[in-house]
Amino acid sequence: MPANSKYLTQSKWQRFGKISAGILGGFGVAQTLHLTLAAYTSHVIVLITSTFSLFIVWAALLICAFLAKNALKIWGIYLAVCLVLSALIYLAPPLHTLPS
Amino acid sequence: MGKRIYNILFNLHTVSGIVISVALYVIFFAGSFSFFRDDIVAWERNEQAVEDDHLPPNINAILNHIDNTYSLAGRDINLKTYYAERAIAVNLTPSKDSLATENAKQAAFFYLDPVSFEAQSYGDAYSLGEFLYRLHFFAQIYYPVGYYLSGFIAFFFLIAIITGVLVHWKKIVPNFYTFRPWAKLKTIWTDAHTALGILGLPFQFILAVTGAFFMLKALLIAPSVLALYDGNQNQLYEDLEFNKPTYAFLNHKLTELPNIEALVTKTSAKWSHFNLNEIAISNYGDANMQITLNGFLDYAVKFNAPGSITFKPHTNETTILKDPYLPASYLDSVKNVMFRLHFGDYGGYFLRIVSFILGILSCLVIISGVLIWLVARDRKNIPDKKRLFYNKVARIYMAICLSMYPVTALAFIAVKVIQPAGQTFLYWFYFGVWLLLSLYLIFKKDLKYMSDFCLIAGSILGFLIPLANGVFSNSWFWEQFALGNVQIAFVDLFWIILALLSLFAFTKSKSPVKRA
Repeated sequence: MPANSKYLTQSKWQRFGKISAGILGGFGVAQTLHLTLAAYTSHVIVLITSTFSLFIVWAALLICAFLAKNALKIWGIYLAVCLVLSALIYLAPPLHTLPS
Repeated sequence: MGKRIYNILFNLHTVSGIVISVALYVIFFAGSFSFFRDDIVAWERNEQAVEDDHLPPNINAILNHIDNTYSLAGRDINLKTYYAERAIAVNLTPSKDSLATENAKQAAFFYLDPVSFEAQSYGDAYSLGEFLYRLHFFAQIYYPVGYYLSGFIAFFFLIAIITGVLVHWKKIVPNFYTFRPWAKLKTIWTDAHTALGILGLPFQFILAVTGAFFMLKALLIAPSVLALYDGNQNQLYEDLEFNKPTYAFLNHKLTELPNIEALVTKTSAKWSHFNLNEIAISNYGDANMQITLNGFLDYAVKFNAPGSITFKPHTNETTILKDPYLPASYLDSVKNVMFRLHFGDYGGYFLRIVSFILGILSCLVIISGVLIWLVARDRKNIPDKKRLFYNKVARIYMAICLSMYPVTALAFIAVKVIQPAGQTFLYWFYFGVWLLLSLYLIFKKDLKYMSDFCLIAGSILGFLIPLANGVFSNSWFWEQFALGNVQIAFVDLFWIILALLSLFAFTKSKSPVKRA
């Protein structure tokens, strides 16, 4: 049986909002999260780890966006997290090449 | 899990799955054959690789040969084996000597056969093995559209895997032991989908993540460069060790050219089981000539073991950049593991055969998923117009997917009848026959006929492949096997077994009418 549509998002705008939040917002959060970790810890290790972990985190965030009740709210949360993490990256000390 | 969450995840699984289904099937089908890419290349050209994917031993003769045609003085030279093929890739930069001839100031890239010393361009060297390998990341679609498309398909496949596991979570154990082939048609597809999906889960998860990285890595580079490196992309590549070292040209002639084969022998004696697969020579014949040997230990000895050593003949200096017998860095380990896990090339034929089987099982998971989708929508309470539409979509999907098997088999025969086949011929032949057969099956409007036709056609053509190889290339698999040309004999045997299995499946497939 197909999924029961009474549980699914009916409004086209809401649906568009959730899809875009999942794909764009989810990528933004996953990417800034990794960059923040890279900026404050051993950046080479975090950057090479992100080659696989980033896609897993992004996929999880994309799924979470669909579970939200309101598209605007999830966009708001993802954007706020992105902004906070971006500020942290901006404030981070300059990169120093760490011994590998 | 609440009903709301369950239904949302279920819908996400259905939608992401049905949208990517055909493309993902093509990726998995072509990708499964790509595990044997090098064997197919060897089989097609009747050229067994000299030393798996390592460089051949006659390096001095190769360099002499290139020197005669291209004049090496002052150039940077790179000899590399990317695959287990006989031909090696040769890359020459323009000579840095300002007095060099016009000819020596031209860069060059070609493949060189170390046995016959014949040079081939990329287009000449194009083969069915390369075609199938490239089809599995849609390289035939205008670059970089195909790469990104396949990357996003891998990413949405990851979404489908995660949501599929979550939806199925509670029933993973009991349903794994459920198989009801004699019940309704729908339960067959459902049981096959869940059981095979769980069986292949780790394999599919790894391929989805690594595949997404290979094709979407550009998405990661730009933000890192901007946020961490102030736009200095070179420094990022430097940190991640993607840059090759460069050495200054001194314009001072070296009195005696070094014997590079002797350096290789010396290195192999120092590091036993060392497989050399790249020689990078900077400033050939100059006082600052540097020779770097790159390779790795045999996977059976150590899994993550990159080795790199540089020689400077002018001063007799030797620098070990990476000792394969010391623990590999985390950076090197991640890079190596991503490729080894995706390519499945570290455990010989056994691992590649297992990978092939898991790849084809994933194709079955995709097909059964499409059929569940269709059966769940082919009900009396759904308006006729919609039902017709769903049937049409499923028919088109199935026709494209199933026809790949006989078309691939026919392509194996075609490259034997027409030699050398070349890139243009392969494109027209493969995509043309695929299109015609798909259209024919779509107009037949019968899923049962479709599957029967593709199984039996694939089986008959499969039996003809070793024959075609024998007749057109005078290469019979028992003779090749006796000569030790395992790569060539393998493809023939592989198709015989594949043809036998599909013949068996054909005889066992009964009319669905009696079961419904």
